[in-house]
Amino acid sequence: MKKHVLVLGMILLPTLAMAATPDFSGSWIRNSTGSDPMPNQMYWVTRGAAGGGGGGRGGRGGGEVTMTVEQDAKTLQVSQSNEIARKYTLDGKAHTRPTDTGIQKAEDTAQLEGDSLVIDTAEPFGGMPGNAILKIKETWSLSPDGKILTITTTRDIPARHETFKEVYTKTQNQPGAICSAGCIGPQ
Amino acid sequence: MKISRRKFFAGAGAAAGALTTSGAGIAAAQVSKTPKAAGLPDVWGQDFLYQWSPPDNVKRDISPGPNVIRLSNSQDITNREGTDYAKMFQTMRDNGWTACEAASAAWLSRKMPDSEITEMKAQLKAHDVVFYNIHCAGNIIAPDPDAERWQRHIIDAYHSAEACGCRMILTHSGSMYPNRNTAHPLNWSKAAWERSVGALKNICKATAGGKVMICIEPVNTEAINNPWAMKRLREDVGDERINCGLDIQNMAYAGVAFRMTELLNTTFEVLNGMIGYIHAKDFVWDQMLPGLSWAMNGTGNMDYEVFLAHISKIPDPIMYVEFLSSPEEYQQAQRNIRAIAERIGVKIHGTQPPQQA
Repeated sequence: MKKHVLVLGMILLPTLAMAATPDFSGSWIRNSTGSDPMPNQMYWVTRGAAGGGGGGRGGRGGGEVTMTVEQDAKTLQVSQSNEIARKYTLDGKAHTRPTDTGIQKAEDTAQLEGDSLVIDTAEPFGGMPGNAILKIKETWSLSPDGKILTITTTRDIPARHETFKEVYTKTQNQPGAICSAGCIGPQ
Repeated sequence: MKISRRKFFAGAGAAAGALTTSGAGIAAAQVSKTPKAAGLPDVWGQDFLYQWSPPDNVKRDISPGPNVIRLSNSQDITNREGTDYAKMFQTMRDNGWTACEAASAAWLSRKMPDSEITEMKAQLKAHDVVFYNIHCAGNIIAPDPDAERWQRHIIDAYHSAEACGCRMILTHSGSMYPNRNTAHPLNWSKAAWERSVGALKNICKATAGGKVMICIEPVNTEAINNPWAMKRLREDVGDERINCGLDIQNMAYAGVAFRMTELLNTTFEVLNGMIGYIHAKDFVWDQMLPGLSWAMNGTGNMDYEVFLAHISKIPDPIMYVEFLSSPEEYQQAQRNIRAIAERIGVKIHGTQPPQQA
């Protein structure tokens, strides 16, 4: 009987623990085959390029996308090559930070909801003054074994609503090397 | 019509009162804050840095003005025989556009009968749509004989605008190359300046007595490419019908790409009382060379809050959305513009159809 309880506990406890507080920590590499094509995250260029988005994470398109996530009981930090690191407070309250341009304000709200992490951001598109407000909603979820991270992102501005999915695979490698996504090219 | 520069600007207030047509009436009192040099003020480190970053204390007055903005777009009013004007203007209104303009080449390709002009005007009134402009993408300083041909074209457009009740025609100063979009190295020489002034004097002389505005669109690649040059051009030509078809995005270059709020403030101040209408575009700087890319309105470097606030303070404002690629993009641009306007309390004429799921 004791043996059965022990085995049951070994099965259930990690599952219950994960359900209570999913842990997204680790190094992740973007799986291009399972992910939607990434639009231009910084700009919505109307001529000579695919439509884009403004603000948010990732989206260099073409190169390998790697991401490091550090999570503790209260915060989650996301680092990517070629991107400004983001640190979210997981309290469900709005927190203000400068936009990447440094001249406007963005507002982030992050919280764990069941098995998921939900991050809402509102900022002037492209971080420039006077622009339409871009609202981004990211929903992060893990596979049962914790090795696959799926991020579904919706972006809304008055002109457009768009949704895309990214799938990341956990890796043992530390992807922190600068320019691992190939940022140095012919000048 | 010819008046001296000093006399014209000294008496600007009186001149504004004398200008009674809807278009020329826009040429209201002038503000004479002549800068020591064309360009935005220094921020810091001017002895070793280009002044490309904005200062911390940029003035952003987003208080709404009293005037309601009409939107138009590149769906021009056409001059095709048998046009159903009622249907044309109803379609414009249904899509949120309450003003329209014509492209000069197509417009002048057919002599419209007086009876048709009467019908067109009646349908414009019935649908509350304003036909305000004949858009001539002219190059009036091109190498001869093109310059003379362009000037004749502008004059023809002027007379047609008078007949159709338009408040303005639009042209460019142009380039010393035949293609005005190709920057010529001497476009900013004294010779090019004198050629611009001379060309406009020819046009003014041939249309003397008219009330239609002759609007010039300053463009980076062309001889007139900033608000100070625009203002000086009017002074040198000496005719109050010379006004500005303002496309501030066309004046953007690396030096002001991130200082558009200041360029907006300065431009509306320098050109106060001489803005015929306004083009609405947006841009980003996303390349190594200072090549600016076209962007969706309200998503790039243009400060649309300040832009719309300024526009709502000029009389009978019309904003022309252009250079997008599809009807869907025009609707997207309109949605952003209307949303930003609503956020700051600026009123836009008409209504836009709801967004489809």
